[in-house]
Amino acid sequence: MAGPIYFDQAATSWPKPDSVRRAVEEYFDGAGGNPGRSGHRMSIAAARLVEAARDALAELFAVPDPGRIAFTKNATEALNVAIYGLLSPGDHAVTTSSEHNSVMRPLRHLEAAGLALTVVPCRPDGTLDAEAVFEAIRPETRLITTVHGSNVTGALTPIERIAAEARRRGIPYLVDAAQTAGAIPIDLTALGIDLLAFTGHKALLGLTGTGGLVVAPGVDLPPLLRGGTGSRSDSEHQPDFMPDVYESGTLNVAGLAGLGAGVRHLLGVGINQVAAHEQTLVDRFRTGAAAIPMVRLFGPERPADRCGVVSFNVGSLSSSEVGTLLDRDFDILSRVGLHCAPGAHRTIGTFPGGTVRFGFGLTNTIGEVDAALRALAEIASWAATREPADA
Amino acid sequence: MLDGLFTFFASHHAIRADKTLRDAGMESALIAGPKELSPNCGTAVRFDFRERDRALALLATKHVEVDAVHPYTPRTDDWRERRPAWRRTRSR
Repeated sequence: MAGPIYFDQAATSWPKPDSVRRAVEEYFDGAGGNPGRSGHRMSIAAARLVEAARDALAELFAVPDPGRIAFTKNATEALNVAIYGLLSPGDHAVTTSSEHNSVMRPLRHLEAAGLALTVVPCRPDGTLDAEAVFEAIRPETRLITTVHGSNVTGALTPIERIAAEARRRGIPYLVDAAQTAGAIPIDLTALGIDLLAFTGHKALLGLTGTGGLVVAPGVDLPPLLRGGTGSRSDSEHQPDFMPDVYESGTLNVAGLAGLGAGVRHLLGVGINQVAAHEQTLVDRFRTGAAAIPMVRLFGPERPADRCGVVSFNVGSLSSSEVGTLLDRDFDILSRVGLHCAPGAHRTIGTFPGGTVRFGFGLTNTIGEVDAALRALAEIASWAATREPADA
Repeated sequence: MLDGLFTFFASHHAIRADKTLRDAGMESALIAGPKELSPNCGTAVRFDFRERDRALALLATKHVEVDAVHPYTPRTDDWRERRPAWRRTRSR
């Protein structure tokens, strides 16, 4: 039996490659120990799986030293480590109106404690003017943080330009790559970004409960949690070296084994091929949807400005009504509402009702996009019969 | 008749509400929270509005917190009459 058409890849990817499932089994069957703790063969086997995942990610992100990648339980934790580690009351931080709550809630919490925060507004299509970020910088600015690809509009932030300017001014730059890591090429050697937060379970094809923070050499960042690391066990003080400084407590080894396999799968396909495939799907969807009366598309027009995420609404139907019909009557799974990014929806004018979001991935096909377009045409024609007379 | 809706602040409560009502033999269905009612409700529970007092009392005993109670029949229920020929069949 065919499964559903899964267009919620921006929430978590599905299905995962078979190699991911096998890697998790490999942990239980062939490893099973606690990495870096006990030193016996099962502990060493587990540690090898963790390091293999680090190696795969280092290759994907062009990080010369895999030890600069610290694992966390998700992108949210990685972002919290960076934000709380770098900012104190009295500091100033610059961010954008497209941020996910994983960035905005920590920043608003710190703002209440005395942080000065500038939220640079994005354009109505979700794109960001890098110059507006530069204009917001003050002498006391201690962090610039932006999303790489918006989880609402798919808009891509010009991270190269911001990274270059941040470096020139000596301000740490944190990039939230939750939507883009594994979906489009990210070359950290070329970009010179100080901090990159990623999640393992989206485009990187790994398991939920995995993520990480890439910390460039020279960034002075205290950890958020302190505890057992399996290293320097003679000391009651937290080690100061990567990656242990940020990896207190036993890691999600089964999850990281799967993540390593997911990233290896991507490297086998080629990240450029992955990006091109998702671009093809988004282009086909946007072109087809633009031709359906009553479908309103959000996000950038130019393909170069967006990743594999697209938002839309249909007539006066609520986003949840459209999502319900897609799920119940067409086997198409989407995500509706505000996507944990209220500022992004205010920016594009869809607050508080939100949008229907499709997130495309490696396993989606043109045939699935065409099926979704037929479904939307059907829903739109039904919606047309229920529009208020004065609409 | 599923003409009532409970909304919640967290899916934790929605999932537990659905199970509580079903375990008591009451009609219940989990749906995506209608955004025209509230941006809060990721997951909501449809139920028989005539049974609301009994349902609320039952949920209270299970520590399930309800955001709001609405008389509500989704407009999308009308869709069931339409069955386009090309539509994928499903067995739900």
